[in-house]
Amino acid sequence: MVSIEVSYSGDSAVGAVKGRVDSINAKDFEGELAGVIDTGVTNLVLDCDELVYIGSAGLRALLIAIRRTNQAGGGVHMCRVPDNILEVLKVSGFIRLTKVFDTVEEATASFG
Amino acid sequence: MRISVSPDLEGVRDAVAGIEGWCIGQGLADDVVFHLQLSMDELLTNIVSYGFEEGAADQTITVDMRLDESEVELLLRDNGRPFNPLEDAATPDVDLSVEDRPIGGLGIFLTKQFIRTLAYRRAEGFNCLTLKQPRSAAEPGEQDG
Repeated sequence: MVSIEVSYSGDSAVGAVKGRVDSINAKDFEGELAGVIDTGVTNLVLDCDELVYIGSAGLRALLIAIRRTNQAGGGVHMCRVPDNILEVLKVSGFIRLTKVFDTVEEATASFG
Repeated sequence: MRISVSPDLEGVRDAVAGIEGWCIGQGLADDVVFHLQLSMDELLTNIVSYGFEEGAADQTITVDMRLDESEVELLLRDNGRPFNPLEDAATPDVDLSVEDRPIGGLGIFLTKQFIRTLAYRRAEGFNCLTLKQPRSAAEPGEQDG
Protein backbone atom coordinates (compact mmCIF):
# COMPACT_ATOMS: atom_id res chain seq x y z
CA MET A 1 0.00 0.00 0.00
CA VAL A 2 3.00 2.31 0.44
CA SER A 3 6.31 2.09 -1.34
CA ILE A 4 9.35 4.30 -1.73
CA GLU A 5 11.44 4.09 -4.86
CA VAL A 6 14.81 5.59 -4.07
CA SER A 7 17.59 6.93 -6.26
CA TYR A 8 20.84 7.65 -4.45
CA SER A 9 23.51 10.23 -5.17
CA GLY A 10 26.24 10.38 -2.53
CA ASP A 11 24.74 11.57 0.74
CA SER A 12 21.59 12.69 -1.08
CA ALA A 13 18.63 10.65 -2.21
CA VAL A 14 15.27 11.15 -3.86
CA GLY A 15 12.50 8.87 -2.67
CA ALA A 16 9.31 8.66 -4.72
CA VAL A 17 6.56 7.80 -2.28
CA LYS A 18 3.56 5.95 -3.67
CA GLY A 19 0.32 4.97 -2.04
CA ARG A 20 -1.31 5.51 1.33
CA VAL A 21 0.30 5.76 4.75
CA ASP A 22 -2.27 4.72 7.34
CA SER A 23 -2.08 3.36 10.89
CA ILE A 24 -1.23 -0.15 9.71
CA ASN A 25 1.64 0.55 7.35
CA ALA A 26 3.11 3.63 9.02
CA LYS A 27 5.68 1.30 10.61
CA ASP A 28 6.66 0.05 7.15
CA PHE A 29 6.99 3.64 5.97
CA GLU A 30 9.13 4.44 9.02
CA GLY A 31 11.28 1.37 8.32
CA GLU A 32 11.75 2.30 4.66
CA LEU A 33 12.80 5.83 5.57
CA ALA A 34 15.18 4.47 8.23
CA GLY A 35 16.65 2.11 5.65
CA VAL A 36 17.46 5.02 3.35
CA ILE A 37 18.96 7.11 6.15
CA ASP A 38 20.97 4.12 7.39
CA THR A 39 22.89 4.13 4.11
CA GLY A 40 24.35 7.52 5.08
CA VAL A 41 21.83 9.78 3.35
CA THR A 42 21.50 13.15 5.08
CA ASN A 43 19.71 15.15 2.35
CA LEU A 44 16.49 13.33 1.58
CA VAL A 45 13.96 14.55 -0.98
CA LEU A 46 10.53 12.95 -0.84
CA ASP A 47 8.67 13.18 -4.12
CA CYS A 48 5.02 13.00 -3.03
CA ASP A 49 3.37 13.15 -6.46
CA GLU A 50 1.83 9.70 -5.94
CA LEU A 51 1.27 9.92 -2.20
CA VAL A 52 -2.49 9.58 -1.83
CA TYR A 53 -2.98 9.71 1.92
CA ILE A 54 -1.05 10.29 5.13
CA GLY A 55 -2.49 10.38 8.66
CA SER A 56 -0.93 11.17 12.01
CA ALA A 57 0.81 7.79 12.18
CA GLY A 58 2.60 8.60 8.92
CA LEU A 59 3.51 12.05 10.21
CA ARG A 60 5.17 10.38 13.20
CA ALA A 61 7.33 8.34 10.83
CA LEU A 62 8.18 11.49 8.92
CA LEU A 63 9.12 13.32 12.13
CA ILE A 64 11.59 10.58 13.03
CA ALA A 65 13.24 10.86 9.61
CA ILE A 66 13.38 14.66 9.89
CA ARG A 67 15.04 14.39 13.31
CA ARG A 68 17.65 11.90 12.15
CA THR A 69 18.61 13.84 9.04
CA ASN A 70 18.67 17.15 10.94
CA GLN A 71 20.99 15.64 13.50
CA ALA A 72 23.32 14.64 10.66
CA GLY A 73 23.30 18.21 9.33
CA GLY A 74 20.76 17.63 6.56
CA GLY A 75 17.01 17.34 6.40
CA VAL A 76 13.95 16.06 4.60
CA HIS A 77 12.59 18.26 1.83
CA MET A 78 9.39 17.48 -0.02
CA CYS A 79 8.12 18.21 -3.50
CA ARG A 80 5.07 17.76 -5.70
CA VAL A 81 2.86 17.49 -2.61
CA PRO A 82 -0.87 17.07 -3.40
CA ASP A 83 -3.10 19.85 -2.03
CA ASN A 84 -4.85 17.69 0.56
CA ILE A 85 -1.55 16.51 1.99
CA LEU A 86 -0.09 20.01 1.89
CA GLU A 87 -3.02 21.10 4.04
CA VAL A 88 -2.21 18.33 6.54
CA LEU A 89 1.40 19.55 6.67
CA LYS A 90 0.23 23.12 7.29
CA VAL A 91 -2.38 22.37 9.94
CA SER A 92 -0.07 19.99 11.82
CA GLY A 93 2.79 22.52 11.76
CA PHE A 94 4.98 20.06 9.83
CA ILE A 95 5.36 22.65 7.11
CA ARG A 96 7.86 24.38 9.41
CA LEU A 97 9.87 21.20 10.00
CA THR A 98 10.48 20.51 6.33
CA LYS A 99 10.60 22.51 3.10
CA VAL A 100 8.20 22.06 0.23
CA PHE A 101 9.05 22.65 -3.42
CA ASP A 102 7.20 22.39 -6.73
CA THR A 103 9.71 20.17 -8.50
CA VAL A 104 12.21 17.41 -7.73
CA GLU A 105 14.97 19.59 -9.20
CA GLU A 106 14.22 22.53 -6.90
CA ALA A 107 14.02 20.27 -3.86
CA THR A 108 17.30 18.57 -4.75
CA ALA A 109 19.05 21.89 -5.29
CA SER A 110 17.70 23.32 -2.03
CA PHE A 111 20.20 21.62 0.24
CA GLY A 112 23.06 23.99 0.95
CA MET B 1 -25.97 3.47 5.67
CA ARG B 2 -24.27 1.67 8.58
CA ILE B 3 -20.82 0.11 8.70
CA SER B 4 -19.83 -2.27 11.49
CA VAL B 5 -16.15 -1.97 12.29
CA SER B 6 -14.09 -4.97 13.33
CA PRO B 7 -12.19 -3.83 16.48
CA ASP B 8 -8.66 -4.04 15.06
CA LEU B 9 -6.49 -1.99 12.69
CA GLU B 10 -7.48 -4.11 9.68
CA GLY B 11 -11.09 -3.33 10.54
CA VAL B 12 -10.24 0.37 10.63
CA ARG B 13 -8.62 0.18 7.21
CA ASP B 14 -11.67 -1.61 5.76
CA ALA B 15 -14.08 0.84 7.38
CA VAL B 16 -12.16 3.89 6.16
CA ALA B 17 -12.17 2.45 2.63
CA GLY B 18 -15.92 1.86 2.94
CA ILE B 19 -16.54 5.41 4.18
CA GLU B 20 -14.40 6.82 1.38
CA GLY B 21 -16.31 4.75 -1.19
CA TRP B 22 -19.66 5.89 0.17
CA CYS B 23 -18.57 9.56 0.16
CA ILE B 24 -17.31 9.32 -3.42
CA GLY B 25 -20.50 7.54 -4.44
CA GLN B 26 -22.52 10.42 -2.98
CA GLY B 27 -20.58 12.85 -5.17
CA LEU B 28 -18.90 14.71 -2.31
CA ALA B 29 -16.03 17.07 -3.13
CA ASP B 30 -12.50 15.64 -2.92
CA ASP B 31 -11.49 17.70 0.09
CA VAL B 32 -14.66 16.77 1.98
CA VAL B 33 -13.93 13.10 1.31
CA PHE B 34 -10.31 13.51 2.40
CA HIS B 35 -11.20 15.30 5.65
CA LEU B 36 -13.80 12.70 6.62
CA GLN B 37 -11.49 9.85 5.69
CA LEU B 38 -8.59 11.22 7.73
CA SER B 39 -10.80 12.01 10.73
CA MET B 40 -12.39 8.58 10.77
CA ASP B 41 -8.97 6.93 10.39
CA GLU B 42 -7.70 8.84 13.43
CA LEU B 43 -10.80 8.36 15.60
CA LEU B 44 -11.23 4.67 14.80
CA THR B 45 -7.52 3.98 15.26
CA ASN B 46 -7.74 5.53 18.73
CA ILE B 47 -10.77 3.44 19.62
CA VAL B 48 -9.31 0.09 18.54
CA SER B 49 -5.89 0.93 20.06
CA TYR B 50 -6.97 2.35 23.43
CA GLY B 51 -10.76 2.25 23.71
CA PHE B 52 -11.36 -1.24 25.04
CA GLU B 53 -10.14 -3.21 28.02
CA GLU B 54 -7.85 -6.04 26.92
CA GLY B 55 -9.99 -8.97 25.84
CA ALA B 56 -13.28 -7.20 26.52
CA ALA B 57 -16.25 -9.15 25.20
CA ASP B 58 -18.71 -7.53 22.79
CA GLN B 59 -16.53 -4.79 21.32
CA THR B 60 -18.97 -2.94 19.11
CA ILE B 61 -18.08 -0.07 16.79
CA THR B 62 -20.44 1.30 14.17
CA VAL B 63 -20.47 4.23 11.77
CA ASP B 64 -23.75 5.61 10.42
CA MET B 65 -23.55 7.89 7.43
CA ARG B 66 -26.18 10.12 5.96
CA LEU B 67 -26.47 13.08 3.69
CA ASP B 68 -28.99 15.87 3.28
CA GLU B 69 -29.07 18.91 1.00
CA SER B 70 -26.40 20.81 2.88
CA GLU B 71 -24.49 18.45 5.16
CA VAL B 72 -22.93 15.06 5.47
CA GLU B 73 -23.26 13.51 8.92
CA LEU B 74 -21.32 10.61 10.37
CA LEU B 75 -22.23 9.08 13.72
CA LEU B 76 -19.47 7.03 15.31
CA ARG B 77 -20.53 4.77 18.19
CA ASP B 78 -18.45 2.43 20.35
CA ASN B 79 -19.07 0.66 23.65
CA GLY B 80 -15.49 1.08 24.88
CA ARG B 81 -14.51 2.99 27.98
CA PRO B 82 -15.95 6.51 28.22
CA PHE B 83 -13.78 8.87 26.19
CA ASN B 84 -14.70 12.31 24.92
CA PRO B 85 -12.10 13.18 22.28
CA LEU B 86 -13.21 16.82 22.35
CA GLU B 87 -12.21 17.22 25.99
CA ASP B 88 -10.12 14.26 27.09
CA ALA B 89 -7.39 14.52 24.43
CA ALA B 90 -4.43 16.83 25.02
CA THR B 91 -3.91 19.58 22.45
CA PRO B 92 -0.44 19.35 20.90
CA ASP B 93 1.67 22.46 20.40
CA VAL B 94 2.14 22.49 16.63
CA ASP B 95 4.63 25.37 16.84
CA LEU B 96 7.32 23.32 18.57
CA SER B 97 10.64 22.63 16.87
CA VAL B 98 11.70 19.25 15.51
CA GLU B 99 13.57 18.35 18.71
CA ASP B 100 10.79 19.42 21.07
CA ARG B 101 7.79 17.95 19.34
CA PRO B 102 6.36 14.93 21.08
CA ILE B 103 5.88 11.91 18.85
CA GLY B 104 2.13 11.61 18.48
CA GLY B 105 -1.02 13.31 19.74
CA LEU B 106 -1.90 14.80 16.37
CA GLY B 107 -4.82 12.64 15.25
CA ILE B 108 -7.62 14.23 17.24
CA PHE B 109 -6.12 17.67 16.73
CA LEU B 110 -6.31 17.22 12.94
CA THR B 111 -9.89 15.96 13.26
CA LYS B 112 -10.89 19.08 15.21
CA GLN B 113 -9.28 21.30 12.58
CA PHE B 114 -10.84 19.52 9.62
CA ILE B 115 -14.42 18.88 10.81
CA ARG B 116 -16.81 21.80 11.10
CA THR B 117 -19.09 20.40 13.82
CA LEU B 118 -18.21 17.73 16.36
CA ALA B 119 -20.51 16.69 19.20
CA TYR B 120 -19.99 14.03 21.86
CA ARG B 121 -22.32 12.31 24.25
CA ARG B 122 -22.22 9.12 26.29
CA ALA B 123 -25.47 7.21 26.03
CA GLU B 124 -26.47 3.70 27.07
CA GLY B 125 -22.90 2.54 27.45
CA PHE B 126 -21.76 3.97 24.11
CA ASN B 127 -19.48 6.83 23.16
CA CYS B 128 -21.41 8.69 20.46
CA LEU B 129 -19.50 11.19 18.34
CA THR B 130 -21.27 13.09 15.58
CA LEU B 131 -19.27 14.67 12.75
CA LYS B 132 -21.02 17.15 10.48
CA GLN B 133 -19.45 18.67 7.43
CA PRO B 134 -20.86 20.92 4.72
CA ARG B 135 -21.12 18.85 1.56
CA SER B 136 -19.44 21.45 -0.61
CA ALA B 137 -15.80 22.44 -0.38
CA ALA B 138 -14.69 24.53 2.57
CA GLU B 139 -13.85 28.14 1.89
CA PRO B 140 -10.13 28.92 1.76
CA GLY B 141 -8.63 29.95 5.05
CA GLU B 142 -11.55 29.11 7.23
CA GLN B 143 -9.68 26.21 8.80
CA ASP B 144 -6.82 28.44 9.85
CA GLY B 145 -6.10 28.92 13.53
